[in-house]
Amino acid sequence: MDKSTMENSNEDLDLFRSIEYTGNGFYWTVGFLIFVIAFGLYGYFHQVLYGLGVTGMAQPISWGFYIVNFVFFIGISHAGTLISAILRLSQAEWRRPITRMAEIITAIVLAIGGLHPILDLGQPGRMWNLVTNGRLQSPLLWDVTSITAYFAASTVYLYLPMIPDIAILRDRGVKPKWLYQFLSWNWQDTPEQKRVLERAINILMIMVIPIAVSVHTVISYIFAMTIQPGWHSTIFGPYFVAGAIFSGIAALMIAMIAFRKIFHLERYLKLIHFQYLSTLLLIMSIIWFYFTFSEYLTTFYGNEPDEMRVFNYKFIGDFAPYFWLMVFCNFAVPVIILSFKKTKTIPGILVVSFSVLIGMWLERLIIVVPSLANPRLEYPVGIYIPTITEWGLFAAGVAIFILGFLMFAKYFPLISIWEIREGRESSIKEVAHRLQSYMPDTYEEDELERALK
Amino acid sequence: MNHKMIKVLQISSLAYIWIFVIAVDVWIFSLLFVAKKLDDAINASVAIGLIAIPLFIAIASILTYVFFGLQKYAKPEEKANVL
Repeated sequence: MDKSTMENSNEDLDLFRSIEYTGNGFYWTVGFLIFVIAFGLYGYFHQVLYGLGVTGMAQPISWGFYIVNFVFFIGISHAGTLISAILRLSQAEWRRPITRMAEIITAIVLAIGGLHPILDLGQPGRMWNLVTNGRLQSPLLWDVTSITAYFAASTVYLYLPMIPDIAILRDRGVKPKWLYQFLSWNWQDTPEQKRVLERAINILMIMVIPIAVSVHTVISYIFAMTIQPGWHSTIFGPYFVAGAIFSGIAALMIAMIAFRKIFHLERYLKLIHFQYLSTLLLIMSIIWFYFTFSEYLTTFYGNEPDEMRVFNYKFIGDFAPYFWLMVFCNFAVPVIILSFKKTKTIPGILVVSFSVLIGMWLERLIIVVPSLANPRLEYPVGIYIPTITEWGLFAAGVAIFILGFLMFAKYFPLISIWEIREGRESSIKEVAHRLQSYMPDTYEEDELERALK
Repeated sequence: MNHKMIKVLQISSLAYIWIFVIAVDVWIFSLLFVAKKLDDAINASVAIGLIAIPLFIAIASILTYVFFGLQKYAKPEEKANVL
């Protein structure tokens, strides 16, 4: 390693800590997470053996936790690639320590969320029917296609900007050496290689935004394309996308706060980053409220009997506690805490982020269950109480997410080292130049004279 | 692990990505044929196929472009080491 590389490496020593040092806490946490995952897997095998009867789902409520969690996890995945792509595209300089974590969230959560419909099928073998007899004109198939495309694009979008960092680890001699050699694709930091990589990242970041938007729009179509009361809505697409970005930002900030604390990344993830993101969260909270208000006001004003049964079930019926808790978590808490500078601190932002995650999970529950509990047919009102199997698989999903993040942090930097260095070396000059270009043009001397005449 | 072995692994992983993409595209094509055979809203299926098929190919193409671009523009001595 040459001298400048060594100096740079030492300057960003904090970013290598999670890779080069493994404390006992890591093993204890991994052990605990594996235990939770094993518990979930036990529940799943039990379900495969005895069928979906072991869940709380029964007619008329044929979708429960699995679909709720599917929509919830896929929603969180919007944190990553979409936010990262928008920040890169808008050349927001404060993005540099954030984008990597955001992209990791997408890749892991998409994998978890994408598996949930298989849980809901009961027998996983039924997936084969999708391969042989799928109907491409069904929104369910659009979902499969768009999620697969988003997962592929997001993984590539996570990997490409990692290549220079992987090469830094390779040159640093971090073990396993073969892994970093294999993944660095012979990166030598030459100007031509940089050009190739930048071009590819630029193309991907433009591609990824419509894919991400399409994913959650298509998920909303699973509901909106039916004529079920409470689901058949034209604003479900943007409503779902807004909700997804909302929950995604909250999940991103929780991950940032947690890993900042664990790996002492305070020098990189500063209060200003959280304040910018929390402003975005506040805006999304207001947008979410606007969509929710529009959605329910039109239902209430229309006063259609079937729709009103679902409406009343949510507002004053069995689901009222969940509904009002959702409004409190998604609107009241963010607005109260994030509107004041005094409470817009990191602990305050953490409270808001957890509140939003709980609120958004409740929102998914409130969308899925009440419409099924109050069908148009002459069924009695359905009751849904999730069983230990469903709770276990939910916990396992969360555990897989944390484990995935931890394992990533064990082998790769959570903050993009090369982007931080690039920021240090050239951003200030570039931003100054950009700011100058925003200003009105000044007159040349002869132009000024002519203008005065 | 020697450089040659790593090179083989890298090219194989790229090949796997292409196999995945081709498999997805073949699947979409097969569903188009099913829709045609059953006379089941073929237009909708064609529309989805027209978006999805090029998308997967584009993703794999970007990866391939980066892989070969990085090999082409590596420093000559490093290239000699690897190849």
